[in-house]
Amino acid sequence: MELAKIESVLEAYFDGETSLAEEQILREYFSGTEVAPHLEAYKNLFVGLKNAQQEVSEREVILPEVTTASNRRWWLSIAASVVIVLGGVGLQFSGNSNQLTSEEQQALTEFKKTKETLLLLSKSFNKGTGELTILGEFTIAKNKILK
Amino acid sequence: MNQKEFLETILPCKDRLYRLAKRLLVSRDEAEDAVQEVFLKLWKGRDKIKNYKSPEAFAITMTKNYCLDRLKSRQASNLKIVHNNYKNSENIERQVEASEGVELVTKIMKTLPEKQKIIMQLRDIEQFEFAEISQMLEINETTIRVALSRARKVVREQLIKQYNYGIS
Repeated sequence: MELAKIESVLEAYFDGETSLAEEQILREYFSGTEVAPHLEAYKNLFVGLKNAQQEVSEREVILPEVTTASNRRWWLSIAASVVIVLGGVGLQFSGNSNQLTSEEQQALTEFKKTKETLLLLSKSFNKGTGELTILGEFTIAKNKILK
Repeated sequence: MNQKEFLETILPCKDRLYRLAKRLLVSRDEAEDAVQEVFLKLWKGRDKIKNYKSPEAFAITMTKNYCLDRLKSRQASNLKIVHNNYKNSENIERQVEASEGVELVTKIMKTLPEKQKIIMQLRDIEQFEFAEISQMLEINETTIRVALSRARKVVREQLIKQYNYGIS
């Protein structure tokens, strides 16, 4: 390609007015051995841009595995929790229908006795509090007078 | 969409995503991390990929957004001062001086504002049509041409400066 043409394409290039095809012409011209001396400085530009295109990524990309394995595990955990809940419920029901052992019966009578004692205590406490209310009323009356 | 279909669609643009990420984040490691993250995001939304006219354009938009977010959070932390230094032209030259020849272009590109960097990457390195870039970045074509012209001219100016410096 004649020099005058190269020069005008080069000017258009710096004005952002060239097509990809014209830019290819420039790349080829400056990669060649016959570059006009006054355009020598542009060699670095076009060869440099060409070289920059050769750079490649050297690391493999890693994508997460999407197999059915993870789905199966998900179902497994649901199934496991269902089994545990059912087991728990079943145990509770079967426990109720069993006869009480002698030890348990003894514990129950002990419990009843304790309950009675506590009730008695609570009654006498209530009596005490009854007197307290009277005392309270007395204080109110006293306050009325002594104010 | 199964894993095989997904990889057939997205894997071909992996290197492009990586190059864009690296252009923005600079570090290789961070760029690889970005690609991994973008792939995971795309994989999660794999059922929607088919709805897009160009899955590649969608992946590029996603990568660009991810990297800009990374830069924002990085800037919000402690690297703000370092970043501001780039704007200093003296710094640009010092940075550029260190490399020579064809590597100069990418060195100079580092000094461009993010938007220009992305546009130059997509056009001059990945060779996308303006219509495609417009779709990826949601910017109209005229704005893209203007930003691109500005970016190319900065690169030219710096290149010629370095070139003359080398000769004399």
